[in-house]
Amino acid sequence: MPMRIGADPFKDRVEKGLNDAFMRNSVRSAQERLYGKRLDAAEELGSWEDWRNLGEEIRSHTLENLDYYLYELSEKMEENGGHVYFAKTAEDANHYIQEVVKRKNGKKIIKSKSMVTEEISMNEALESLGCEVIESDLGEYILQIDDHDPPSHIVVPALHKNKSQIRDVFKEKLGYLNTDKPEELTLFAREKLREEFLSADIGITGCNFAVAESGTITLVTNEGNARLATTLPQTQITVMGMERIVPTWEELDVMISLLSRSAVGQKLTTYVTALTGPKATLEGDGPEEFHLVIVDNGRSNMIGTKFQEALHCIRCAACINVCPVYRHVGGHGYGSIYPGPIGAVISPLLGGYEEYGELPFASTLCAACTDACPVKIPLHELLNKHRKKMIEGKGLTAEKIAMRGFQYGTTLPILYQVGTKLAPFLSLPFQTNGFLTKGPGPLKAWTTIRDMPAPNNERFRDWFQKRQKEDLGE
Amino acid sequence: MNVSLFITCLGDIFYPNVGKSVVEVLERLGCEVDFPYSQTCCGQPAYNSGYHGETREAARRMINTFENSSYVVGPSGSCVAMFSEYEELFHNEPEMQRKARSLKERSYEFTQFLVDVLNVTNVGASFNATATYHKSCHMTRLLGVNDAPEALLSEVDGLSYRKLPNCENCCGFGGTFSVKMEAISKEMVDEKINNIQSTGADLLIGADSGCLMNIGGRINRLQKPVKVMHIAEVLTQREVK
Amino acid sequence: MSEQILNRESFLSSLAQKLGRSTPKTVEIPKWKHQPQWEVLKNTSQDELVTVFKKQCETIHTDVIETEKEQLADVIKERIEAYNGNSISTWNDKRFDQYGIFSKTEAMIHAWDPRMKDNVNVAEQADIGITFCDLALAESGTVVLFSNEEQGRSVSLLPTTYIALVPKSLIVPRMSQAARIIHHRNKAGEFPATCVNFISGPSNSADIEMNLVVGVHGPIKTTYIIISDL
Repeated sequence: MPMRIGADPFKDRVEKGLNDAFMRNSVRSAQERLYGKRLDAAEELGSWEDWRNLGEEIRSHTLENLDYYLYELSEKMEENGGHVYFAKTAEDANHYIQEVVKRKNGKKIIKSKSMVTEEISMNEALESLGCEVIESDLGEYILQIDDHDPPSHIVVPALHKNKSQIRDVFKEKLGYLNTDKPEELTLFAREKLREEFLSADIGITGCNFAVAESGTITLVTNEGNARLATTLPQTQITVMGMERIVPTWEELDVMISLLSRSAVGQKLTTYVTALTGPKATLEGDGPEEFHLVIVDNGRSNMIGTKFQEALHCIRCAACINVCPVYRHVGGHGYGSIYPGPIGAVISPLLGGYEEYGELPFASTLCAACTDACPVKIPLHELLNKHRKKMIEGKGLTAEKIAMRGFQYGTTLPILYQVGTKLAPFLSLPFQTNGFLTKGPGPLKAWTTIRDMPAPNNERFRDWFQKRQKEDLGE
Repeated sequence: MNVSLFITCLGDIFYPNVGKSVVEVLERLGCEVDFPYSQTCCGQPAYNSGYHGETREAARRMINTFENSSYVVGPSGSCVAMFSEYEELFHNEPEMQRKARSLKERSYEFTQFLVDVLNVTNVGASFNATATYHKSCHMTRLLGVNDAPEALLSEVDGLSYRKLPNCENCCGFGGTFSVKMEAISKEMVDEKINNIQSTGADLLIGADSGCLMNIGGRINRLQKPVKVMHIAEVLTQREVK
Repeated sequence: MSEQILNRESFLSSLAQKLGRSTPKTVEIPKWKHQPQWEVLKNTSQDELVTVFKKQCETIHTDVIETEKEQLADVIKERIEAYNGNSISTWNDKRFDQYGIFSKTEAMIHAWDPRMKDNVNVAEQADIGITFCDLALAESGTVVLFSNEEQGRSVSLLPTTYIALVPKSLIVPRMSQAARIIHHRNKAGEFPATCVNFISGPSNSADIEMNLVVGVHGPIKTTYIIISDL
């Protein structure tokens, strides 16, 4: 699945989301649950602001020295007996992965959850070789079985589906016979997937954080699927976005503590698995061959720009879980596998304004995201920077002319005086009971859903001036 | 204490009564209020739409307008928070940057000024109503004004206060967002209104004209039995029980 | 450059260029201005750490039993029976014999054996996996496992039930202390294991309507046995 999901234009996607009552209900309840859990986890820890400051410090130091740490990581990885491939583009990455799979004569591939492999359309590349690629994260598995329904959240990918929809999918595609109880559905998936794990040739994982000092990759899960995917198949391929790295184990601790708390409100997720190279010769399980694919795919365009901080993201989805726009539109509305505030920041950077230009405007800049971010990415400011960049790239538009007008209106007192003084009279035809219920221009969009107070005949400044004169007169 | 009133453009044109109430409360508390007439708009509508160049000149005007004020007080957290953005707009003009920083340091949202500078929470208001309060996003998150409004409201005699569920969620205003993305904005404001009604309150109090214009405009359209008031208007009430 | 590392030079030099400098030869990790991680459970006694550990286990759906070496064999027998375990997968760990841990149970014990081929299948067929832990974290109720040829990864993963033996002296406040130990061992050229697992209770998922379901790919039930005099 590529980064782009669905071919519909933005407005249609939004409308579809707004009309999907079930999806909105489940997003609402998920947001509320995760909001509470995250706050509890932060509060229980105490000095949460110190933790965030530390997280920010570590991320900015790491990104400022990214080339150095990637070098160190690859050196260590080689020492440990692993292979490292630096992929500039999605095609590079897929090509290398295809070559490894062909050489190992891989037929069945089991995956644990990975956003970057979605971003580069890796599954399709492997399926084109005739391989069977099986997603093992429960949410991803459900989506895959349901004819590749796209994910709508980066941590809870099937958030938009309800249990009876899931039961129907299992029934239709896999012959499931039980009820829609989550316990029964989960047990069924466990048994199905256990068979797949045991017979898979190759395990493919993402990477939450690589540790440069020891050449380690770490995987953070609750289900244990990443452990299975790295324990049973003989070959392991790990695909990581190039920014997902920390200098040493000490920083790993901090980042994982922040991630677990921010993503799911846990002190630690059930499993944190740290893999350092292939298994030792005498070990009875673990991969014999280990490949790490480090992916750029547009990320380096952010380096050295005002958007570099977007690379600090640790994919916890805390911003998504507090976003009031995501709450109503849902993940698919964003048209990208990266939804919500962070998605609205990075999708245009990775995929361009042509495809994702609307996203930075789909925000009230309420800053809930910025407040929630465990590494203090100023998300709402970055959204505004996108707006600025897009506007500077455009020629003279009606809006630009209006904004010039605004500039003159606010800087030339005489214009402000006349404009605001005239407003009550100009709006007179549209007034009912002190409110405007329809009107031209922006007023039209405003009044499609709400009324507008009518401009007052006496502005505050007129009142104040009059009062001052009266005072002086006394 | 001398205070310069920053009325905000919405306050000047649409909500003069809010400004009058601010003057009344401040004067009652012994402040000398002046109103620099050269003020216009803080520039936020342009700034948040990405027109940073156009904003700069509005910013320059506001900085000069309030250059000699010891305190600048405005009845809208969002507009006061906009002053914090000025410094970055003048990255090529160190002198203006210094002035921008100075303006930021002297500026307060109305309730913030009462509680943090004047150290007052009881202004002697009394008002019989069942009310809830809408926390504005910019005021809480960008300006860091969290508890002042509720502290003031808790001292209003006769006011029965109900906490608003999901009060941290934006009302859907967002400046030009409200007209550019009106379909999403509508869902946001409708959820907000449902939450307000779920408290049983017959009065919604806010401290930011933008939010109140949005929520109030929708309440008016839907003919919901909820009155909307700015906190300054509530604090001038002297109802006898 | 070896064949084990491909495309590195061009990739990194383009990053260096965007960072506006050449790749540094060494980078000093700064002394972080904020270090709240060392304040958590600071100056907490070992007994208090046990209390915190046990409390957290309630949250993560894990049973905890505290015992002494002497009673260990009885506790193990009781637990295995409670889980209806007939077949047990374990590490090849001399402490099992040393403390006579399996001296009372009648279940079949299969120790991990690097000379055998079917360790994984045996573990997959076993009802219960039992291992010691190499460290434990009080704050998160976590056991830390280092894998090697005697200590298979599968033992704590494939059986439906997992029992971890936790020597009390190995409990540290939180992940920070464990990470520091690993960091120092790495610096000393003694990296502890090809696979380090931090395990906090049974596997679970909330992928269906955000309902927590305990037991997905890994174990469905978990018990920790704290050995207070080890």
